[in-house]
Amino acid sequence: MAKVLEVRDLAVGYGGEPLLEEISFDVLRGEVFAILGGSGCGKSTLLRTLIGLQEPIAGRVHFRGIGPPAKAMTPPQFGVLFQSSALFGSRTLLQNVLLPLQKWTRLPAAAALAVAMARLRLVGLDRFAHHLPSAVSGGMRKRAGIARALALDPPVLFFDEPSAGLDPVTAAELDELILTLARDLGVTIVLVTHELPSILQVADQCIMLDGAAVGIIARGAPRELSERSTDPRVQAFFRRQVLPRNL
Amino acid sequence: MPSPAFTLSSSGPGDCRRVQLAGPITLAEGAELWRQVRTALAGATSAEVNMAQVTRLDGGAAALLTAVATEMMRSGGGLQFVDARGDVARLLALYDSARTGSCELPEPKATTVLADVGDFAERAWRTTQAILAFLGDLVVGTIQAVRRPRTVHFGELGVLLERAGADGLPIVMLINFLVGAILGLQGAIQLHRFGGDQFLANLVGLSVIRELGPLMTAILVTGRSGAAYAAELGTMTVNEEIDALRTLGQDPQRFLVFPRVLALVLVVPVLTLVGDFVGSLGGLAIAVSYLDQPVVVYLQSLQQAVSLLDIGTGLLKSVLFAVAIGLIACQRGLATRGGADGVGRATTSAVVVVLFALVALDAVFTWVFSLLGW
Repeated sequence: MAKVLEVRDLAVGYGGEPLLEEISFDVLRGEVFAILGGSGCGKSTLLRTLIGLQEPIAGRVHFRGIGPPAKAMTPPQFGVLFQSSALFGSRTLLQNVLLPLQKWTRLPAAAALAVAMARLRLVGLDRFAHHLPSAVSGGMRKRAGIARALALDPPVLFFDEPSAGLDPVTAAELDELILTLARDLGVTIVLVTHELPSILQVADQCIMLDGAAVGIIARGAPRELSERSTDPRVQAFFRRQVLPRNL
Repeated sequence: MPSPAFTLSSSGPGDCRRVQLAGPITLAEGAELWRQVRTALAGATSAEVNMAQVTRLDGGAAALLTAVATEMMRSGGGLQFVDARGDVARLLALYDSARTGSCELPEPKATTVLADVGDFAERAWRTTQAILAFLGDLVVGTIQAVRRPRTVHFGELGVLLERAGADGLPIVMLINFLVGAILGLQGAIQLHRFGGDQFLANLVGLSVIRELGPLMTAILVTGRSGAAYAAELGTMTVNEEIDALRTLGQDPQRFLVFPRVLALVLVVPVLTLVGDFVGSLGGLAIAVSYLDQPVVVYLQSLQQAVSLLDIGTGLLKSVLFAVAIGLIACQRGLATRGGADGVGRATTSAVVVVLFALVALDAVFTWVFSLLGW
């Protein structure tokens, strides 16, 4: 399968101080790729760098076959679901999804509305289209965030902690939706998470980051890593164990 | 406009229109797809869209095609997609299976001017009730705070005093100086025509010290500190920080409101005194530059015209203005609902309500002082 995203020797952090260094990986078309790691290891910083919201300290991010990230003059080539959903609170769910369509397409109003409603139906929220984000649950806000990220049919979707703060059933529904997007829409998904059930259910490939190691400590299929890795940090992560202090 | 990558041809009568789509169909050309498909199906009661030659279909285009099918179904007709293969078939099925419900936006509620006036009056009454209830809470809180000072969070009082006072001093001085100068210039022009140059100090001194100094200073404090308090407490409310405070056994009144109101009560009279002083200097600048009046003459007139009672009434006003600013700004902030939009509305509401309250209080004071002969 063709590469969609190529990351080489990337160093990310703040004020020139790297949180992560020598990060290299490839994401293939149609793959669900997870970036794993404990809290504070730099997962979200890496994601911000991948989507162009933050300059890397070193290295490069290359999207193959699609445009450069976060350039204001071209339609965004990927969608992003932020950890907080980041829906605009003064707009209804429908208006949130309509926003990128109105900005980047020349669809007549009725057509744009039809597309936006179709996106909301896809995530099961058409009945709540006219609700404000504050009037729906956290899981619904996440799904509305996915509908908005999908609005322009981007080939790549980035999800930052999609299941964070959700109950197990809602989280499982969201995982199912992620699989549907990858399987039926053929979207490549890059997922930042530390939710074990989600990782094992949806991810094809993953990298595991470690703050102390300032980089990647493992890579491969999540199930394989969870069953075969001999690295105590990887074992501790997948078995939800407390890591001994000397590691 | 470049021609689209897809092609569309149609044939057959209205009761069985046949449409053939071919090539890649994407949302980027959605406008053209929407126009061509609807034109091809215009007047048809039943139609069949052949998708055999469609090489690529994205989600947006699939959504548009299924929306057209829904539109035909609603008008009593029917539309079928035939010979779709692979990804095209899967996408059409995905969007088609999700096809339920309405695409229409709800009709905006019709309102009349009378209903709008009624809504406004109801909102104003509720806001007044809420502010009065809040005032009651604050009075009770103040009594408890005096009895048990340790329950009040004085930790941030220093920072609050600095932000509301020292940081606001330059703008308070500048605006009051300009107000004094403008008043002085307008007064000097009129007084000079009637040979009343010596009364300029009376005009500027009394106007600034009794009315404009306290009022202008309070308006500036509203814009700086009042708006900041409403936005800060509003953000804390929507982020559930206020709920967190309550669960920790802290009373938001004593933890957040009391220190802010106290900071303003301590700072606004001082700013008002400084404002009175520089406002009078603004009048002096005009007296010297426009009327060629010696400095000593202006200052002697000012001393004779302005009594300690005048300064005292101005300071009394400033204290009550400070309470009004702190109280209303904090109440509006804590009453915030929703997200970022709610914080914006709370801040606007705080500034508008405080400004109204300041002018109303000033009018009441002027009337009461005139009755008392002050």
